[in-house]
Amino acid sequence: MILTLEQSIKHFASATPDKIAVVCGSDSITYAQLWDSIVQRSAELVEQGIKPSRPYVYRATQNIDFVVTYCAVHNIGAIAVPLEAQAPEESLQTIRAEVDGCSFASDIVDILYTTGTTGKSKGVMLSERALVACTENFIVDLGFDSDLMFIVSGPLNHIASLFKILPTLSCGGTLCILNGLKDINAFFEVFELPYKKFATFLVPASISLIMQLSYDKLCSLADKIDFIETGAAPITRHDMERLSKALPHSRLYNTFGGTEIGAVCTYNFNDGRYMEGCIGCPMKNSNVEVTAEGNIVVSGLTIMNGYVADEESTNRVLRSGKIYGSDLGYIDEEGMIHLKGRQGDVINVGGFKIDPSEVESAASSCEMVSDSVCVAAEHPIIGTVLKLLVVLTQGAEFDKRALAQHIKSKVEPYKVPTYYEVVDSIKRTYNGKIDRKFYKK
Amino acid sequence: MRDRIYELLSDALPAVDFDSDFLFSELDSLGITIILMVLSKEYDIELGAKDVTPKNFKSIDSLVQMIEAKLNAKL
Repeated sequence: MILTLEQSIKHFASATPDKIAVVCGSDSITYAQLWDSIVQRSAELVEQGIKPSRPYVYRATQNIDFVVTYCAVHNIGAIAVPLEAQAPEESLQTIRAEVDGCSFASDIVDILYTTGTTGKSKGVMLSERALVACTENFIVDLGFDSDLMFIVSGPLNHIASLFKILPTLSCGGTLCILNGLKDINAFFEVFELPYKKFATFLVPASISLIMQLSYDKLCSLADKIDFIETGAAPITRHDMERLSKALPHSRLYNTFGGTEIGAVCTYNFNDGRYMEGCIGCPMKNSNVEVTAEGNIVVSGLTIMNGYVADEESTNRVLRSGKIYGSDLGYIDEEGMIHLKGRQGDVINVGGFKIDPSEVESAASSCEMVSDSVCVAAEHPIIGTVLKLLVVLTQGAEFDKRALAQHIKSKVEPYKVPTYYEVVDSIKRTYNGKIDRKFYKK
Repeated sequence: MRDRIYELLSDALPAVDFDSDFLFSELDSLGITIILMVLSKEYDIELGAKDVTPKNFKSIDSLVQMIEAKLNAKL
């Protein structure tokens, strides 16, 4: 039986008290110390007035303290609502007001804010059942165990990183937290730590970046890397093949999942076939079917309970215990699922799903902008990035830097476009909406 | 050289404050990669992971120093 994260940490605090549970830079904490810290933080939260089934909104700092708080919130029966570390104060206040005005079912333990399947930022309510089922999916299908050091470098409010805390610590393994991959040497230094095997989650853009900058170094780690998991965005066949050559004995997974559905399918592409778009078969606690229209439908224990304060969106996506998302695909004769793209306007940048209208809205409040459209553009290494096409206000001078800084003050950093272009007009449909199909061509 | 690097990088990464003395903390991995690409192309030098250190990416001046050292090594 799979325990909850907090039950597991308590168990290992007694079974292997001196084993390192989490490492972050020069800081580390053993299982016994982690459990003590969780108990202490739990008491502090109770003292602050945080009650069971009530939300606790906080910024997801990239350190051990985040893990302590996350577990302590669960430990007192409250709901963890971790937000992007650099979320503007305005977003924090808006979300706090939204969740404070709602009541929640007693089994809800996490609310993760995402653009996800629908575009607009929504709070996805996840139950303890979903977290435990995801934990089991990872342990069974990816192969987590107590000898493993798992490296998380992505933001801990994002499910792809946050939910790696669960299987790692539920198996008695060691979690290593990095603050992004910009200090790539810090990433490689982790492999010098005295652990038998290592694993990590990297979005395709990060894999591409590491292979571009340090391919030889990556090859030298072939015997240490147990597995690498990617996902959140498509990985190219070229990168799959190159990574497989660098790490011929490692398991290399392309996982399909999302905040609304949890971790659902995975495909070990180190199989000589390197099938682009393939996400393998459903994991232990998940089911996948494809509708006649080609939409991927997910059911099983890992799915969300619904969106916060948005019954309409919940009913649109979640029907009869199944999540109808925007991903399109098909199932082949081997039972493997293949993705064919996505419906809707959401742009996927390095795993972050961005609603272009949010970027346009931020740009429109800048004086120099009369009209704008945010589109997907290709970067030679990073893959998909945002580009803003701008129509200038009459008489205004284009100042790219001022515009980028303005947008940055309104939205999270990953939503700031990389490229900008001044255009004469924005193409709109007959009813005045941006003609997004035109810009997708 | 400083003005040219400032101009190039500000154009490539308009949301980043290149006047900062804490440049490394302002950047993400995408920003670091773009800086490496822009500078290696402009000065025809090889820049890799070993060059990505907090010291080299502390400010625009430390980036200039890194480029100068690379160019001197080429001579």
